Amino acid sequence: MPATFLHRFVLSIGFLSLFHSAYSAAQHRSYLRLNELDFTHLPLDIIIQALISLFVIMYGVMNVAGDFKEIKASAELENKSWETFRNIPSFYTFSHRGKFLAFPHQTGNKKHN
Amino acid sequence: MSSKNKNGNSDVVAYSEMAIRNNLSVVEYCRTSMAALSGCTAGVLGLTGLYGAAFYIFAVTSLWLMILCKAGLSSWKNFFISRKSLLTNGFFGQLFTYILCWTFIYGMVHVY
Amino acid sequence: MTTDLIVDPQIRFWVFLPIVVITFLVGILRHYISILLSSQKKVEIQQLQDSQLILRARVLRENAKYIPKTSFLIRKHAFNREEEGYLMQKRPPVTQNMMTDPSMMTDMLKGNLTNVLPMIIIGGWINWMFSGFITTKVPFPLTLRFKSMLQRGIELSHLDASWVSSASWYFLNVFGLRSIYALVLGENNAADQSKQMQDQMSGAAMAMPNDPKVPFKAEWEALEIVDHQWVLADVENSIMQSD
Repeated sequence: MPATFLHRFVLSIGFLSLFHSAYSAAQHRSYLRLNELDFTHLPLDIIIQALISLFVIMYGVMNVAGDFKEIKASAELENKSWETFRNIPSFYTFSHRGKFLAFPHQTGNKKHN
Repeated sequence: MSSKNKNGNSDVVAYSEMAIRNNLSVVEYCRTSMAALSGCTAGVLGLTGLYGAAFYIFAVTSLWLMILCKAGLSSWKNFFISRKSLLTNGFFGQLFTYILCWTFIYGMVHVY
Repeated sequence: MTTDLIVDPQIRFWVFLPIVVITFLVGILRHYISILLSSQKKVEIQQLQDSQLILRARVLRENAKYIPKTSFLIRKHAFNREEEGYLMQKRPPVTQNMMTDPSMMTDMLKGNLTNVLPMIIIGGWINWMFSGFITTKVPFPLTLRFKSMLQRGIELSHLDASWVSSASWYFLNVFGLRSIYALVLGENNAADQSKQMQDQMSGAAMAMPNDPKVPFKAEWEALEIVDHQWVLADVENSIMQSD
């Protein structure tokens, strides 16, 4: 499936969320510093938000990055028929007797005129 | 392709180079983004020292699982030659990106 | 973690962030400038002919067993005939010096212009503009050996080794943003030189060296000693048996 609008939307939501969690963490640090508390660990909700947004972004990236192709060389050829391979455009000729067979009335008209 | 068996079913499998290259570039793209993003997350979380390294390993492994899921758990053989090299290739190549992003966000969030 | 240093938050917005942004944007700019300046490399028709000739000779040598002996001998004769064979023909000795070739000169100049010059100018400017700041701290402990690398421009002997000065932060960015460029600009971008070098090395249609005599000679020898064994001698029988 190609990269759809939905995946890009998911991607930007994830980025916003990650940015928000970074901002919250910075706020938390400045709050701790103002109150002269020691930093032990971040609040749990910021950690969870950061991790979830990481995985949301990765989901978006994996879908935006593109699709895998089958690496078997025969995979592309499986859906093609023998007629496709026999079709060689270089050997087309259009100036052959068929034009007299296909439109008999036109050639006939020409003769009359 | 050399046909060793008489019944036309040869043991040698021909791979399409274009497809392999395409797959590898997709994986490389994912890997670079994963390194950058997991670096950012590690910085946000304020991981230091060995916790950061452990988080990198965790990120690479989960990316590997996600790629396998995307390729299909049973049908990954259609897309990649080896499952293990998918995990180990470029393990250290992206480490610098990870460290840079980690340092950057860590500095932005936690140092000041 | 107990910070013994409290860094002014103004540094974050006026030193730390600008360095990252400047480095990144300069890389992007360099990419587009080198696209503008890049000239299509002209391949000499004689060189291309020679390389294709060698490819043909190699293909003949490797697949000789699939053609009858007479066909092989005819082809070998075409390549290895005395005086007139393809591999025996004389080339005018090409003594193209790299320095005298004007196209080579301009290429080198452009390469310098897009790679080395911005590096020096921007690096010098950043050194001058943002000198002497402690910008950030790496989140892992480092030994004292890294002090000279990470704290360029700050001479403080008691400072912990994991603090990074502004000049060193710039260099970290220069080297670390490489893969980010690959992400943003796509593969094979001009901001990333090391990749390009690899591509040139492994390119399929490798340009011949200026003097084709040596590879011609080697190919001639290899073709001379091929022992022709036709593997399809009883192909009819084997096909009939398999059915």
